[in-house]
Amino acid sequence: MSLAAEAFVSQMAGKIPFIHVGNQVVSELGPIVQFTKAKGHSLSDSLDDVQRAEMKAYMELVYNMLLTSELFVQWCDDTTAGEISRPRYSSPYSWPLGNILAYQKQWEVRRKMNAIGWGRKTLEQVYEDVNQCCQALSQRLGTQPYFFNKQATELDALVFGHLFTILTTRLTSTELAERVKSYSNLLSFCRRIEQTYFEDKKLMKD
Amino acid sequence: MAAAMELRCWGGDWGLPSVHTDSLVVLAYAKFSGAKLSVSPVDWTWKTLTASVPELVCGDTVVEEPTQILNFLRKQRFNADYELTARQGADTMAYIALLEEKLRPALLHTFWVDAENYSNLTRPWFASRSPFPLNFFIPSRLANAALARILVTRGEGLLHRISEVEGKIYSDAKECLNLLSYRLGTADYFFDNSPTSLDAFAFGFLAPLHKADLASSPLQSHLRQLDNLTRFCDNILAAHFSPDKPCKIAETMDANLQKLTQLVNKESNLIEKMDDNLRSSPQHKPHRAEPKPSLSSSKNSTPA
Repeated sequence: MSLAAEAFVSQMAGKIPFIHVGNQVVSELGPIVQFTKAKGHSLSDSLDDVQRAEMKAYMELVYNMLLTSELFVQWCDDTTAGEISRPRYSSPYSWPLGNILAYQKQWEVRRKMNAIGWGRKTLEQVYEDVNQCCQALSQRLGTQPYFFNKQATELDALVFGHLFTILTTRLTSTELAERVKSYSNLLSFCRRIEQTYFEDKKLMKD
Repeated sequence: MAAAMELRCWGGDWGLPSVHTDSLVVLAYAKFSGAKLSVSPVDWTWKTLTASVPELVCGDTVVEEPTQILNFLRKQRFNADYELTARQGADTMAYIALLEEKLRPALLHTFWVDAENYSNLTRPWFASRSPFPLNFFIPSRLANAALARILVTRGEGLLHRISEVEGKIYSDAKECLNLLSYRLGTADYFFDNSPTSLDAFAFGFLAPLHKADLASSPLQSHLRQLDNLTRFCDNILAAHFSPDKPCKIAETMDANLQKLTQLVNKESNLIEKMDDNLRSSPQHKPHRAEPKPSLSSSKNSTPA
């Protein structure tokens, strides 16, 4: 189980994360989960069909809302894109390649937002969407330690990855992190997973 | 607060009030929540070019996108989700996200990108419903938008072609249909016995796929194998969108209720038998209650 948990930190859109096993490279969450399942480690075997349907549905909710909101805030908001995202994205490359790649990435993300109808959204509406998504996750989690029974599943790994990223990434405004922090059970969920599985990392700042 | 509300959407065919997924979602939700909408189809008008469909006009406000329209109706006190618990509300959001991410690309592909279906069904239908000279370019504009949407959301780069993502989107869609089927089970609606917004969304996505006369569609044949989903669509059509209603709903509901009650009775009999076996002593009789297929729950057997 620790193999699966370790592979899921720091989610980004694209081909990361990937794991390198022997001479195979497997990238992205879905294929990694299937790969570890084929090796005999699976987190969701004990779920029945209806629960598995629920888990898949909640994972899609996270992809649909949280991931899209993260991309929107990073790339479609001009201040954030200019001050943080583009410099960070272009840092490994020399000028002018870095600039070109950063603008290309921004253009690609904006195109995607337009295609799914988020192009005309304001930042405030996106924060509201994140709020609703966190509310749904918070209600589903309730007072349980994990989303399903007492055992961690792929959904827990995915939610942890996204929430941890939101809480620890430095942006021009802390509004997004504040919205997540307002749900105390999600916050303690993140802390608990971090302490249980990633003890050597330093604790999140309050 | 009943200001007159007008919904602009695509017209109906194949036994459905509208052939367009998003319009169907709004129409179904309006029926479930009791909102009175006057439906004005955009067929044969120039609105096919200018309006974004569906669109709700109430007085001065214009609302687009199904989710926004549903929010607006809820604010006007037409709320079909009133009885849901917080947990069920969260489940609703999750399942709607599932439908959007997994099923929509495959539906778009089936209707707009698949060459046979597009040229035999979709294009003639939309062309015949658009005024001259729009009928020449409205369908292709919609088809291009559909293709772009699939590639941008599912393709992984600027240069991906549709053939590379086809297999993936269809297998995702079939998995999504299976998951919906598991979740629905033998019930009439997804939550309890009254329809909610999740039912409206599911109906909007599934009904065109179920009813359209598609030439080649592995997805449609997959859906047709999932009896409870096809029954779900037919139920909603019969109950909310046809002139003759009440007896049909009562019959299907009674039949389902009887089946479910029989299941429950069988289970409780099994449990009793297990109890009896565990406690097996010579002076007790092995069977206590006969199985009664009546509507009243017969869980009043007393283990002595």
